[in-house]
Amino acid sequence: MVYACVPLVEQTLCPRPPLVSISGISQGFELLFGIQDFLYSRQKNDIELNTKLNQLPDLLLQACPFGTLLDANLQNSLDSINFASVTQSQKQPAWKTGAYKGKPQVSISITEKVKSMQYDKQDIADTWQVVGAVTCKCDLEGITPNVTISLSLPTNGSPLQDILVHPCVTSLDSAILTSSSIDAIDDSAFSGPYKFPFTPPLESFNLCYYTSQVPVPPILGFYQIKEEEVQLKITVNLKLHESVRNNFEFCEAHIPFYNRGPITHVEYKVSFGQLEVFREKSLLIWIIGQKFPKSMEISLSGTVTFGAKNHDKQPFDQICIGSTAYLKLHFRILDYTLTGCYADQHSVQVFASGKPKISTHRKLISSDYYIWNSKAPAPITYGSLLL
Amino acid sequence: MGPPGREAWAQRLAAFRASPAAFLAGPDGEDLGRALLDDLRSERPSEPTKVSLLALSLEFAAQLWPDAPAAEAAATCLLDTLLLLPPRPSALRRPLLLAATTVLVTGGALSPSSAAARRLLPLLLDLAAGRDPGRGFGPASEQRPLQATACECLRELESCRPGLLGGCVGLLRGVLAREGPVQPLGLLLALALRHASGSPTGARAALRSLLTAAELPPGPAPCRWTLEEEDTGRLRPHASSWPDAQAGPCGLVALEPSPQEARELRALVTQLLDASYLLAPAAQAQLLWLLGWALRGLPGPPPALFKPQLVRLLGTAQVTLLHAVLGLKAAFGEALFTAQDEALLLRRLALAAQHPALPLPSQLFYLHCLLRFPENCPLGPAAKEARPPLLLSAPLCRGLLPSLLQEPPVLLARLRLLCLLCAEGDGEEPGPSPLRYLEMLLAGLRQRAALDGAPRASAALCFQASYLAAGGLAGQSPTLSTLTHGLAWLYRTRPALAPHFVDLLNKVGPELGPPLRGVLRQEVLSQPGGGETLRWHLQMLAEVVTAEAQGAILQFLRAAAPHCADWGLQQALLRVCRVLLRGGVGGGGLADLLQVLASQLGDPDARDHARLYYMLLAHLAAPRLASALAPSLAAPALTSSLVAENQGFTASLMIQEAPAPLRLSVGPRRAGGPTPALQLLVEALEPAFSLELRFSAPGQLYGPLRALHVPCLHPGRPAGPLHLPLQPRRPAPASLDVQALYTTPSGHTRHACLPPLPVGLADLFLPFPQPPDGSGPRFFEELWDACLPGGAESRLWCPLGSQGLDAWVGCHLQPFVVAARPPTSYHVAIRLPPDSRLLLRLEAAQTEGVPVALRTDNWAVLPLAGDYLRGLSPAA
Repeated sequence: MVYACVPLVEQTLCPRPPLVSISGISQGFELLFGIQDFLYSRQKNDIELNTKLNQLPDLLLQACPFGTLLDANLQNSLDSINFASVTQSQKQPAWKTGAYKGKPQVSISITEKVKSMQYDKQDIADTWQVVGAVTCKCDLEGITPNVTISLSLPTNGSPLQDILVHPCVTSLDSAILTSSSIDAIDDSAFSGPYKFPFTPPLESFNLCYYTSQVPVPPILGFYQIKEEEVQLKITVNLKLHESVRNNFEFCEAHIPFYNRGPITHVEYKVSFGQLEVFREKSLLIWIIGQKFPKSMEISLSGTVTFGAKNHDKQPFDQICIGSTAYLKLHFRILDYTLTGCYADQHSVQVFASGKPKISTHRKLISSDYYIWNSKAPAPITYGSLLL
Repeated sequence: MGPPGREAWAQRLAAFRASPAAFLAGPDGEDLGRALLDDLRSERPSEPTKVSLLALSLEFAAQLWPDAPAAEAAATCLLDTLLLLPPRPSALRRPLLLAATTVLVTGGALSPSSAAARRLLPLLLDLAAGRDPGRGFGPASEQRPLQATACECLRELESCRPGLLGGCVGLLRGVLAREGPVQPLGLLLALALRHASGSPTGARAALRSLLTAAELPPGPAPCRWTLEEEDTGRLRPHASSWPDAQAGPCGLVALEPSPQEARELRALVTQLLDASYLLAPAAQAQLLWLLGWALRGLPGPPPALFKPQLVRLLGTAQVTLLHAVLGLKAAFGEALFTAQDEALLLRRLALAAQHPALPLPSQLFYLHCLLRFPENCPLGPAAKEARPPLLLSAPLCRGLLPSLLQEPPVLLARLRLLCLLCAEGDGEEPGPSPLRYLEMLLAGLRQRAALDGAPRASAALCFQASYLAAGGLAGQSPTLSTLTHGLAWLYRTRPALAPHFVDLLNKVGPELGPPLRGVLRQEVLSQPGGGETLRWHLQMLAEVVTAEAQGAILQFLRAAAPHCADWGLQQALLRVCRVLLRGGVGGGGLADLLQVLASQLGDPDARDHARLYYMLLAHLAAPRLASALAPSLAAPALTSSLVAENQGFTASLMIQEAPAPLRLSVGPRRAGGPTPALQLLVEALEPAFSLELRFSAPGQLYGPLRALHVPCLHPGRPAGPLHLPLQPRRPAPASLDVQALYTTPSGHTRHACLPPLPVGLADLFLPFPQPPDGSGPRFFEELWDACLPGGAESRLWCPLGSQGLDAWVGCHLQPFVVAARPPTSYHVAIRLPPDSRLLLRLEAAQTEGVPVALRTDNWAVLPLAGDYLRGLSPAA
């Protein structure tokens, strides 16, 4: 699917105005994001997609009357077509098309993704970063119920930074606005509680996103490859940090071999878990399971032999040239955040009729968690360059 | 035939949507608009069908009712339909309002003279004000949606007629205070204010209405249809560019509002801003842009009114909202943003540009915003483009630098920032050197591109990045040198990238081009002559040849020639020779090589080419050679070098059509000689050399006409008359086709068709040999008698001028007079090749004319002679 939008520019085009001076550019972006969200959220198959595509012309008339974008949330537009007769009052936000009727409840879930690049090299620093998203669904009666959610950190928690909030958040503490990953962290950094007062929309929404610099990566890895004629000697060590909750939903290390032939033979020894071999895909998957052993350290060593290269079947990669190689960790830990960030049920304030049931969820997911072969060059970012 | 049913409409609409223009041009096209309006009024179609008809009229109003009368009629019909709806809930009211507005606007019918517009406007104002326009207009449950729709329609009318609703600001504000729908009302008010700020009278009207009209006054709606002269130039409907903080206020400083007016205006703006969080983000952004403009023009409310909103806006990552804040920054500068605020805004943009939670297009847009951040730009030329914003410090950029793992668009956009940092950097910032990082990054890209079997995209990315870096590092010679040698390495490793290199060389500026050519030439020349990569080397060489290395180049070509087995390779080889020829490089060595190629190459076509090049080299001087081989300007758009080359070559060897470089005319007649002949006068319009004029007569009237040659023609330099002998096969006038073939000063041969050249009967006249003295009359009488009985005779009257017969004959017929008794009698005998004669007896002339007796032995000549005589002017 290609999304395109042509904004109207009512000014002289010569000299060419900079894009940033044309308000239609961001409106166009917003509309396209809105269309993308509408088409792909809650969509299960092509029939649904086609149904939604057929609704688009009417929705666009609703969302952009006379060509001016008023609301990029097309689901809202659809709802307002369907519930046009719902009586609205002045304080009714334009982005809220109706009112909830039923048992009041507020659901808050915090999802943290951790990514990392580990090199195990003298002159290159390992990097890791946590990106969090707080998703809310507020089923509350009344036109504009007010909710304040506070995110808290334990005493040794890592401060939240780069906080971006949903437009329904009505005010922000300046400390939230200014805490940024650009600055070095020191003890004086604002560490919460992070208060977000807002008037919730009807649908589930992302209240805020944040990043954080945790002091250590949850799993520290070491990966080494030695080329010996037709076979590779590999060594992998993984160490779970003691502060991390040792209770995974799953944990796997994927060890792909690019630009080589199929795996013909593997000899290996794992201190923990099992190894699965996908010969044609030139891939090893080390299934670590739900828990690291008491020592928190596990290792894998072995030799892998490859057959003749067949370009059609084996994966090609532009990064993994020569001995440049990585292993990628996939794991998920429920009811846990790496920053320690949590939403305390008691700190959620709701100004609406009835006492709502408040539920909170947390999870940590790996995302782009790479451990590079320390014996070969690896792609780096500017941040990992040491002086 | 009844109206089409639901199915029929669905089919018709689908056909229309598939191709509106084709449908309208087709048999059903003419009726569509009318049928649509009829069916909207009819009771038969279901409501959903009608809604889809209205959707179509909203979308294609301009096609369905393209001119003002049609639009007026359609809008009237839509309004009638609206008012006739039964007072129960209906899904048609809102689309009908929208459609009526759209039709009026797109058809250009929106004016005070339009009855439909005069009906629509009060209706919309009534609805917007939340008042029942009477006759049970819709049930109460529909009031609010209708109110919102009416506001949207009014906003459209105001957009198209800036200032129209300036007088209604007070009324609309009253509605807002009485809990009107906040989003459409807010936007409408902001637009009205923005337009009012464009003109003093508009502003005055808006201010006045703020104080007075909280209620819709009875009588005509307070709309300003006509804009004063001064307004029209300045007001563009809803211009979307941001205003410039440096340009000063828009010129309404002179308008001094009363304290009360200023207070009301301020209160209104505050009211709009305070309620802005209730608007959807996109609408909020609209409101901010509009109010930004309005406040730039309206005296009274200070920009600080925006301040309370800024923290909330800066906290979001909504593209439209942050963009609107940038718009405010551009509009108000220091009046709204302190230095700290500006730094905060930059930080927020920098973090949004790298926030992993945001989609890539947003990140790229924020990066663009950062690079174009509105600030008091550093002084100096080209400062706007060539450096990052002053406050964008290196630490702020650290997270914005490219890495090999990023998507190509992100990598390239960030590379631009990195280059700016490198160009800026004085080496004193803490942290690793950006230059070193840039070099590492480019090296990584080259490594990827060099990989055997790497996709085309990775090569393209490498060259795009190299191009960007070369442009951004014009002053950094060590880095440029690293780049040059890195690219040479890339070529050595993967010569198949030669086309990319050729492209790059054609695009880069002087900072990278010449050194890169040099190292690439060395790379090519250091290669052995044969192998699979030969064609890439030849392609590369054709791009990088110079005079200095001609010995080595010729040596390479000689070594390569035996390996050029197929046509493609031979052509590639010849292409290098051609470039050498064109550049005047090569001399004797090249001639030898071409001779060898002409005898040794396997393909006959290639041998011919080599021979041709050899001939050209041997016979043409360098400038001529260059022009003969230069690419033709006639085919600049052709991309294939093969075709372009062929075109250029053809252009220099083939004759092209051109406008005539000269003008030809027939000069005065000169009877005499064995055959009739034309005297041609030549006027040169352009320089022409080796001119050949070719003549042909239609229908075999004349024998073959020989071509005339002129060595050279120059405008302004007189040319002698040309003598064109005619060989008539029948004595008849004709029109000669003329073609010119010549060489231009640039050496190209051109062909031109000239206007046809008329040959009159008189041009064919020849005199009889002069009879001995005294025998003239007898000679004439013998001729005269000999004409009959085979010939023809006629008489006619020729008018004479004031000078009498003597002068008339002297002027027209003197060479042909064989016997005369001046001034009253002349006997004229004319030979008409090939074998006819025309005899004229002019006797007993009177003052005003002379009777002429004609005889000819060829009856076909008689009417022509008659025409000729009648056409002679009375006086010479």
